Amino acid sequence: MPGISLAKVQKSYGAYRAVTDLDLEVKDGEFLCLLGPSGCGKTTTLRMIAGLENLSGGSLSVGERVMDCPDKAVFVAPEKRGMGLVFQSYALWPHLTIEQNTEFGLKLRKMTKSERQKRTTEVMEALGIEEFRDRLPSQLSGGQQQRVALARMLAVNPDVLLLDEPLSNLDARLRLEMRAELKRIHAAFGTTIVFVTHDQWEAMTLADTIAVMNDGTLQQLGTPDDIYERPANRFVAEFVGSPPINILDFGKSGESGGIVQRARDYLAQHHPQIAGAGSVGIRPEAIALVEGEAALAPGAFGAPVQVTGVLPTGGSWIVEVQAEGQAMFINTHVAPAVRTGDKRWLEVPPRALSVFDAAGSRIATADALLSRSAA
Amino acid sequence: MRMRYRFRVAMREPTTLIGVVMAILFAYLIIVPIISILLDSVQTQFGDERRTGTETGGWTSYYLIRTFASPIAGIMFWKPLWNTLSVAFSAIVISVLVGGVLAWLVSRTDMFARRWFATALIVPYMLPAWTFALAWTTLFKNRTVGGQQGWLEAIGITPPDWLAYGRVPITIILALHYTPFIILLFGSALRRFDSQLEDSARILGARRGRIAWLIILPLMKPALISAVVLIFAKCLGEFGVAYVLGLPVNFDVLATSLYRNIGSRQTGVAGVLAGAIMILGILTLLVDAWLVREARRYVTVGSKGSMNRLSRLGRWRLPATGLAGLFFVFAVALPVLTLFLSTIMRVPARFAMDNFTLDFWIGRNLDTVALRQGILLTPDFWRAAWNTVWIVGTASIASGILGLLVGYAVVRTPFRPLAAFLRQVTFFPYLVPGIAFAAAYLSLFAVARGPVPALYGTTAILILALMADQMPYASRAGLSAMMQLGKEPEEAAQVAGAGWSRRMRQIVVPIQKGSLVTGILLPFISGIKGLSLFVILAVPSTDVLTTYSLRLVDYNYTQAANAVVLMVAGLALFGTLAAQKLTKTNLAEGLGG
Repeated sequence: MPGISLAKVQKSYGAYRAVTDLDLEVKDGEFLCLLGPSGCGKTTTLRMIAGLENLSGGSLSVGERVMDCPDKAVFVAPEKRGMGLVFQSYALWPHLTIEQNTEFGLKLRKMTKSERQKRTTEVMEALGIEEFRDRLPSQLSGGQQQRVALARMLAVNPDVLLLDEPLSNLDARLRLEMRAELKRIHAAFGTTIVFVTHDQWEAMTLADTIAVMNDGTLQQLGTPDDIYERPANRFVAEFVGSPPINILDFGKSGESGGIVQRARDYLAQHHPQIAGAGSVGIRPEAIALVEGEAALAPGAFGAPVQVTGVLPTGGSWIVEVQAEGQAMFINTHVAPAVRTGDKRWLEVPPRALSVFDAAGSRIATADALLSRSAA
Repeated sequence: MRMRYRFRVAMREPTTLIGVVMAILFAYLIIVPIISILLDSVQTQFGDERRTGTETGGWTSYYLIRTFASPIAGIMFWKPLWNTLSVAFSAIVISVLVGGVLAWLVSRTDMFARRWFATALIVPYMLPAWTFALAWTTLFKNRTVGGQQGWLEAIGITPPDWLAYGRVPITIILALHYTPFIILLFGSALRRFDSQLEDSARILGARRGRIAWLIILPLMKPALISAVVLIFAKCLGEFGVAYVLGLPVNFDVLATSLYRNIGSRQTGVAGVLAGAIMILGILTLLVDAWLVREARRYVTVGSKGSMNRLSRLGRWRLPATGLAGLFFVFAVALPVLTLFLSTIMRVPARFAMDNFTLDFWIGRNLDTVALRQGILLTPDFWRAAWNTVWIVGTASIASGILGLLVGYAVVRTPFRPLAAFLRQVTFFPYLVPGIAFAAAYLSLFAVARGPVPALYGTTAILILALMADQMPYASRAGLSAMMQLGKEPEEAAQVAGAGWSRRMRQIVVPIQKGSLVTGILLPFISGIKGLSLFVILAVPSTDVLTTYSLRLVDYNYTQAANAVVLMVAGLALFGTLAAQKLTKTNLAEGLGG
């Protein structure tokens, strides 16, 4: 199975730049998620890989084969790329039965009728839609249609399977089931998969690698853990995670004595080597509440807070606190022993601090310093 | 390199190529004829050299002056203009008053037989307008004109000229014919109106009259404006009614004046008149666009939960039903019955058994000077019928398919200016009343130009003109069908490995089958009853049913003309009803065809 590589890919519509300088390698057999808010260029990227959009610049190749490169005047038509694409709307052909939908791609390849039927049946069985073979798409539920859309593409054994928010039209439970199904399919077929989503949990649970995009540029490429634990910049930090990451922005420090000032002092005192910090991010679950300053672990960052709300979310709790002029969220899986109005200190271990420079980029050297101090 | 790449991407598929071919085709079929007739109006025509003092083809203002400022300008332009405008406005006032009440009765009250009336009251629009004109002459014709007597004259009452011909009957007939527009458009707006808006006013203490005046009417304005403008635009090009009823008293409207000028080979003046009609048509629709935009600011979009409560008429229930019934009698039953009876009676208005006959339908060796057999045994009739079917049929099929292709090209081409041009050029004939458009065709195709032979007198010119005339509806239908389909089903097939032709054959066309049938059927029906386009372009050998019946009127073969019109009306009526059933569409959507 070939990998996909995008080099300096550009896509513009008139003056509007949908994708800018995108470099991306999708390894052979990898499950890659393109994650980002709507309008970030992720679907455009997927459609360029499929060949439904052509590049404005750069080059795109699959394996050794250049698929699209304006500078070399190369463009391989989508129908000749041997890929599979599942649309958000499924795009099943309304006038064909489930079987005919599934069989369509096979008919275009040189196959005997019996081979074709064998393969069709095989795929339909694998996806549990065999019983609907003679129905029309309109007679199926959303989840079933989704399976047909998948079956249709899997039938032809594509080298690359592209999925454009395929789960967003399903209800929560079905979505969970289909996620498991997709993982299973990926394991069974070994196909290279590129999956577009704006849902971070979907990306986290499914992907080997996540590519976070914003405003047409790649923000970070990494494993789900990387993305979550070590966001490359403030955009990624704030986009991924719910409740969202707490950001202490040095740029807008209020009166002295606020938590922002405290964080700044903390860094200056404990880690003077870190230069040019612009803000600090703290994940909600990295924060613990302790009785007072004296109870802080050595080397930990701390600040006095007042609890302003305790929100149970079933199995976990979100504690909302006011920390010297700034609201912060704490996420905990242990029932919190605090009530609204209680006064506590928050405690953050140094390695849980993400330090960003004034431009919002992660200061990578800080990570090593911070985690060493914890040891 | 970049150019080559772009070209490769654009030409990889025939989409853009189709778009370019369509653009050229429609530029030739729509824009060139119009330019041609506008040039006619400022260039010296053959035979006019001495009058204009220039060579044939030289620039001249002679025709403009002749039409607008010469001693005969009054007869040729200003009087017809005044007649057109005044007739249109009176017809609009009447149809708004009558149609408004009927629309309310049908859509918001508990009147008896509402459902039946909802369809029955639309019938006048399904029939060709000049059906009523023939029925009117059959009843009211007086001794001013020769030929068979009118019924009233036959029983000894001579109707005055003002009642028999000209402004009064034309206004009444146009009003009757276009009232269904108001019922449809105004009625559907009324149905969508949320009763909660009314209820709120009532709770605040407003009485019914005030509610109607202060809440309902203002909100209905956009629907009313569209209906009124549509009627006005249609009246501009209205030919048949004015021709049948206006001729005896020299009551000309712009369309008949244009027709006369073409008939008397005043090509230059005809060009000026056609231009004037076009400009009026364009102005009207611009005004409409502006008014509707103004009115949209407070248009209500009925929410899902919008309620539509029916008003109880109480003791007015029966009278109200009577009113609707009365309209049906006058606008449908009476004219159709009159026409029918006139075709089976030897002497007008004598209701005796021995006066009835089927001779005019199937008789042989009649003791008449000409047309010595019943209409159904006349070869000319069958030729006209056949012409109608195949001319209108060919044009409808062609425009239906072209419409879908235009829709496809517009939606799919990556080359946006091409898409914009295609949309606009195919919409343009909508702004040009049919008779002016026909005149433009005559101007372009009457003589051989380059490789294109003279088409006048052939069926080709009829088919081409009709096709171009139908393009606004066909391209809109195709466009909305393609928009609705979205590009995903096709892209899915493309990714699965299907090339262009396979995608067209197995995905796009099969999915669009239904809308293609509608896109062919509706224009076909409106083409069958169309007159103003054909009357300019048809010659006896290329007669369709409508022009054939008009020729019969000209020769005073009253019964035969009435019989043909009756059949056209029947075809149009049952065709519309059948198409409505078949495609499950509402006639309101196919309006304007």
